[in-house]
Amino acid sequence: MANDQSADVVIAGTGIIGCLIAEQALDAGLSVLMLEAGPRVDRWRIVENYRNLPPSLRLFHWDAPYPPKPWAPHLETRTAKEQEQYLQLEGPNARAYLQGYVRYAGGATWHWAGICWRITPDDMRLKSLYGVGRDWPFSYDVLEPYYTRAEHAIGVSGPSDPALQWPPNANRSKPYPMGPLPFGPGERRLTEVAAKIGMMNLPAPQARNSGVSYHGRPACCGNNNCFPVCPIGAKYDGATSLPTIEAKGGRILENAVVYRIETGAKGAVEAVHYFDQNKGSHRITGKIFVIACNSIETPKLLLFSKDDRNPNGIANSSDQVGRNMMDQPKLFAELELTEPLWTGVGPVQSSSILNTSQGDFRKDYTGAMFRMENYARSYVGAAAALKKGLVGKALDTEIRRLSACTARLTVEHEPLPSPDNRLTLSDKKDWLGINKPNIYYDVGDYVRRSAKEYTVPRLRALADGLGATSFQLSPEFLNSDHIMGGCIMGTDAKTSVVDPDCRAHDHDNLFLPGGAAMPSGTASNSTLTMSALALKAADAIVAQLKHGPS
Amino acid sequence: MLDQLRDDSPTAYRLARRDIVFGGVVLIGGLATGLVPTTSALAAWSDEASARFMEISSLLIPHRLHEDVGKRIGAAMGALNPALSQQVSELLAIAKNKNAKIVEDFFPDVPNGPLKETALAIISAWYLGVVKDADGGEVLAFEYALMYGPTSDVMTIPSYAISGPNAWPPDAPPLENMPDF
Repeated sequence: MANDQSADVVIAGTGIIGCLIAEQALDAGLSVLMLEAGPRVDRWRIVENYRNLPPSLRLFHWDAPYPPKPWAPHLETRTAKEQEQYLQLEGPNARAYLQGYVRYAGGATWHWAGICWRITPDDMRLKSLYGVGRDWPFSYDVLEPYYTRAEHAIGVSGPSDPALQWPPNANRSKPYPMGPLPFGPGERRLTEVAAKIGMMNLPAPQARNSGVSYHGRPACCGNNNCFPVCPIGAKYDGATSLPTIEAKGGRILENAVVYRIETGAKGAVEAVHYFDQNKGSHRITGKIFVIACNSIETPKLLLFSKDDRNPNGIANSSDQVGRNMMDQPKLFAELELTEPLWTGVGPVQSSSILNTSQGDFRKDYTGAMFRMENYARSYVGAAAALKKGLVGKALDTEIRRLSACTARLTVEHEPLPSPDNRLTLSDKKDWLGINKPNIYYDVGDYVRRSAKEYTVPRLRALADGLGATSFQLSPEFLNSDHIMGGCIMGTDAKTSVVDPDCRAHDHDNLFLPGGAAMPSGTASNSTLTMSALALKAADAIVAQLKHGPS
Repeated sequence: MLDQLRDDSPTAYRLARRDIVFGGVVLIGGLATGLVPTTSALAAWSDEASARFMEISSLLIPHRLHEDVGKRIGAAMGALNPALSQQVSELLAIAKNKNAKIVEDFFPDVPNGPLKETALAIISAWYLGVVKDADGGEVLAFEYALMYGPTSDVMTIPSYAISGPNAWPPDAPPLENMPDF
């Protein structure tokens, strides 16, 4: 049993990565203490916060129902001024790194879409196959069993037909635990239109219960509110794991902001220090330490922990901590259509086109994932119709038309890891006196060339197929909230931060699992791959505590 | 420290009508998101003013209107616009002059300028459920906001559900089939 001062496994962060590792460690008989920077909040409060937002803030301001505590700030976007407060962004594509995440118990899965794509064998060999980026230090065959375990751990629904899975027709060690969720009218139509131009719209594997309950969570009822919060907990989020972790004996301390990692003379981590909400400092000891605070907060903590023994920060003898920051640079197009499409039926995302992410063209420019936003557009239609000054039947007719006959198509580009895309410590400090993260971001010519020669023309073709009479492309690359990089994985300690088990090269008992370790970003949502890496790390942690370092 | 408990409502929400009105009992499902406005605005809004606001609302909007929502919208608009009562009287007079039953009967006679702007603002508030659709705007109606009406046969009100597990259909009714609401 963990206590408030020590445990076999000390985990900073209570998001999906921390929760998966905590459960594995507890199941192996180890004691676990989790430290969460932010508060622990009940689901009903988030739902109430969401419903009490003015309607213009209910869409695309996923942070708005999650007001941060002073000691655990995160991005807020209700106003332009508010948006500049926490993340300090610079570079030619600073806007593309405006990352939304939640420093609450449960982490960013509170407002994730729940999409659980695997990456492909080719995605892991970019350098070998196309001469760009980095190769992963192991093959897809090594990752596959962890994917399956992750799908069963969080409850992923997906198709049983191998041709509809991703990667298609690949070996799987187990089927998905649940079948796919059905398409609504919009997704059905998009699938038909896309197929005519060689774009295959697949049912998305998603951590949403399909037709049945799973792990104590109810079946999805199509509340169409996956972000910013699933009101019924049908979608997996980290918060749904916390009671299970406690039932197994895990301890969770909320409002505990880890600010320093302390190493001993031999390089091992001996303790972490955290501030409580009254700025009181506490020291936690353990045998294994896991920093799972996402790809911004983790490198920030490593850099902030620099001391005489670690002059570049913890785990940073390679100078790669904070480098290779990634996310899929996103463009979207707002469409007006001649015929109704009717998005908004079922989950907010339920399908994507991924065959556009693979191919020899990756030598020259990046691949991408295309999808249609499936949120209910009643507000979008109403706001636009009201602006026209319509009344009576004309108003209702226009609201219905603009809700049904408009859509947003999105394309998310695969990023390459670049050491120049770097997180450093800003001169600006937060309420606790901790430096805010500063991030330089340039999507690079590899992405820009793709947008010009490949993805935007494809986006237009898709819009034409849907009968678009209007195509409004976003003026710049945007964030996808898939934060990756910062603690890149590799076998060479001189060029990477962690080994293939997400263990820091510099500190045997420090693990940095999740998106921070990913050697490539791919075009698709990162969470399932992060989860697979977490389970791989969990196996290594358990083995290390049972048998010593390998 | 405001809260030592697991309660992360921002200060504005903490004033919360729901905590006042429902004694802290909160349900995820079927209750409206607050049916009584902040106390001060409501206190300044008389029953007579409220009745006249409902009367003009019923002429401007051809749908079933929830009286409590009307009280909230009227009080909130009145707090922002001191001329509201006078403008409501003028709009009612125009409608009466045309013997209007629906908005189309008299709206062309409403002059451009503040009077028309107020008429459109009343309609907008009923449809969006807010008087101010920006940061700081108070939600006066959530599921009773009329913007959900024209699509209620297909699209759910986000966070609510209109079907069961995997029971949503792959097809939609014709665009011409306007729901009754």
